[in-house]
Amino acid sequence: MANMSHNNLNAKLVLLGDMGAGKSSLVIRFVKGQFLEFQESTIGAAFFSQTLAVNNATVKFEIWDTAGQERYHSLAPMYYRGAAAAIIVFDITSTDSFERAKKWVQELQKQGNPNMVMALAGNKADLEDKRKVTAEEARIYAEENGLFFMETSAKTAVNVNDMFYEIAKRLPRAQTSQNPAGMVLVDRPAEGSRSSCCA
Amino acid sequence: MTTDSNSSSSESDDQNPNSNIDQSLDAIENQLASISMSSHPPTATSLDEDVVDEENEEEEEEEEVEEEKLVSSVNGSLNEEIVAAQAKVDSIEHEQHIETNCKPGSSSSSFAWRDTTEAEPPLSPSSSGYAGERGSTSGGDDDDIGEVEHDGVLGQWVSGKRHPDEDDASVSWRKRKKHFFILSHSGKPIYSRYGDEHKLAGFSATLQAIISFVENGGDRVKLVRAGKHQVVFLVKGPIYLVCISCTEEPYESLKGQLELLYGQLILILTKSVNRCFEKNPKFDMTSLLGGTDAVFSSLIHSFSWNPATFLHAYSCLPLAYTTRQAVGAILQDVAGSGILFALLMCKHKVISLVGAQKASLHPDDILLLSNFITSSESFRTSESFSPICLPRYNPMAFLYGYVHYFDVDTYLILLTTSSDAFYNLKDSRIRIETVLLKSNVLSEVQRSMLDGGMRIEDLPVDPTSRAGPMYPHLGLPRPATDSSGRIRDAHVGIGGPAGLWHFIYRSIYHDQFVASEFSAPINSSRQQKRLYRAYQRLYSSMHDKGMGPYKTQFRRDENYVLLSWVTQDFELYAAFDPLADKALAIKTCNRVCQWVKNVENEIFLLGASPFSW
Ligand SMILES: Nc1nc2c(ncn2[C@@H]2O[C@H](COP(=O)(O)OP(=O)(O)OP(=O)(O)O)[C@@H](O)[C@H]2O)c(=O)[nH]1
Ligand SMILES: [Mg+2]
Repeated sequence: MANMSHNNLNAKLVLLGDMGAGKSSLVIRFVKGQFLEFQESTIGAAFFSQTLAVNNATVKFEIWDTAGQERYHSLAPMYYRGAAAAIIVFDITSTDSFERAKKWVQELQKQGNPNMVMALAGNKADLEDKRKVTAEEARIYAEENGLFFMETSAKTAVNVNDMFYEIAKRLPRAQTSQNPAGMVLVDRPAEGSRSSCCA
Repeated sequence: MTTDSNSSSSESDDQNPNSNIDQSLDAIENQLASISMSSHPPTATSLDEDVVDEENEEEEEEEEVEEEKLVSSVNGSLNEEIVAAQAKVDSIEHEQHIETNCKPGSSSSSFAWRDTTEAEPPLSPSSSGYAGERGSTSGGDDDDIGEVEHDGVLGQWVSGKRHPDEDDASVSWRKRKKHFFILSHSGKPIYSRYGDEHKLAGFSATLQAIISFVENGGDRVKLVRAGKHQVVFLVKGPIYLVCISCTEEPYESLKGQLELLYGQLILILTKSVNRCFEKNPKFDMTSLLGGTDAVFSSLIHSFSWNPATFLHAYSCLPLAYTTRQAVGAILQDVAGSGILFALLMCKHKVISLVGAQKASLHPDDILLLSNFITSSESFRTSESFSPICLPRYNPMAFLYGYVHYFDVDTYLILLTTSSDAFYNLKDSRIRIETVLLKSNVLSEVQRSMLDGGMRIEDLPVDPTSRAGPMYPHLGLPRPATDSSGRIRDAHVGIGGPAGLWHFIYRSIYHDQFVASEFSAPINSSRQQKRLYRAYQRLYSSMHDKGMGPYKTQFRRDENYVLLSWVTQDFELYAAFDPLADKALAIKTCNRVCQWVKNVENEIFLLGASPFSW
């Protein structure tokens, strides 16, 4: 269970949000530095990993990009269970997606890990002229619910890396990670046999 | 069963002479009335430029095809004489061979190639439920209007729903040759191949009215014929599936396609979706299938190129025996640790697969699984972990599938019952990958893709002498340079020995099939689709419970000579030049069978198959 060795931290991060909000686009921007105009709808969940250096430590994010399609909603716990951080994504041009985001926040508050770092991402910030959700109302909602909020654009890359850095900084440091709760960080079996995949 | 007039037919006696059903049928016919099949609209002006353009393209292609065929027929007949001369040498023992293989199981006649249509003049249309293709009379005869042509190999086919803007009032929608619908028992649209489901609510309600009317009478409607259209129904609890087609495919084939469509739905949602209808009969299921259009349209597309959809068998990528063994060994190795099934696939072909303990994988599940994965771009982006239901294994429950692409075409599927096995499966994949890289399997897979499968031009004259591991690929040197003992040189570009054009061999014991590569004159995708449909009809006539089962069939029409041979061990379907000599064709079939047996190590997955346990 040693998720922290020296200054290295493994952190499971899950992205939740309505279909088409831009979860995959944000992850692909962060991990591969790319953007696709036509990003296909995710099936189940896709797994990525990316390492960040923050304050002379490294954080290895193990990212679950979940599918926003309705049929996968009931399976979400499978992916957010044990997550240290969550990004709840909505599309600033869709009020429905904002409502959906609030539902995810509620679910995580009920079911998730209480120490989970939660970020609210108002994505597609480049589509200012189609905006339906104001930055103000999203910020107020985020503050009330203990999330930090950023408006992002996977297309122009605005605030994408910043958001992941911010999460990395807010992750509980060494002391908390050794608490018995053990849910802050990734909970993986057979830790020792995995050496090859981290190379 | 089916009737040929413009009337409904249902499973039992037609005791419902009733105005209601007639009205419903009228409604359907009205909606279909303008779907004219007989020919191109001579002046297909305006309205839908898309459709017109594509039709013109098809027409051009058609003309090309006809020319090609003419040339090859002429050559083909010359050709046969050459073959006849060469083939005499080994004829006798092969005839003995075919006799002994046919005897067991056939009660009355020891060995009879059933000669059903040969006597008919070559251009006569169909009889006895076997419709000859009439491709030359009307352009676009067998193709769905606007369907992007695809040669099944290069994969330029466009995924996703096409023409979502259409509804049942659009001219273009009515002209489509093959519609598929899924609807709920309350008449709510769930899926439509063409057009937006929601705009087709009225049409859906009409279909629902027909089905439930007959159902209420304690009966079940299976097939309605309306002029050139067949409307095939499949009822699966609260879910109704309907195919409206004027492709002249046999009822059994269309029904099989609906079964697969249903299976695909179950793979995505499991059968527990029925509970939603118990709670709310008017439940709208479309939202549960969001983002899956590409999966269904690619499955429907495979109904016109992938023989697995009617053979209910899977096919393997040709590989050296030791290579496939190596893959099987590493898959077997990981399969113990919580993995139910492990499959390594290249496109829709199996490289190797294993099942834990006694678990067995049905070929239809393999088809639906690989269709689901290859048609969803999402799996290519990154490794993923998704709920997947195998309808033949257990339609009620999800398994969890780990999917990882090693390269553009080659992917690994690990299926487990445990929803938190991701990291285990990821570790297993890393172990598998290491072995595959070390033993060069992935590059051999790539090479096999380039080399292709069995080519009829390579059919050895005397297959018995050409067996053995001395040849690297399918018992053949490549590139083929030797001319001794092979008649390839005499047949370059003209369709192979004795006018053999193509074959499909299905090994019953292995649940697998192998199809030869397409070569001249079956070059165009249009020709391939026509041959595919001919095989489909042949298959269903061989398996017709009413008339069959046949042991052998020999059919000649203006397009081909088709020969089929069904034994306890295998089924062979072969297409020859329409002028091919019958005795020679039979001999050639024997050689094909011998050839397949000689190289079965390379073309089939042997031993490790869970089916044989
Ligand atoms: N203009 C703009 N478009 C974006 C942005 N992010 C994503 N998109 C587009 O929005 C569409 C949906 O994006 P995805 O990343 O697939 O959305 P998702 O949340 O992963 O959707 P699901 O996988 O179905 O849950 C794609 O066509 C993207 O190109 C953005 O920042 N700006
Ligand atoms: Mg996505």
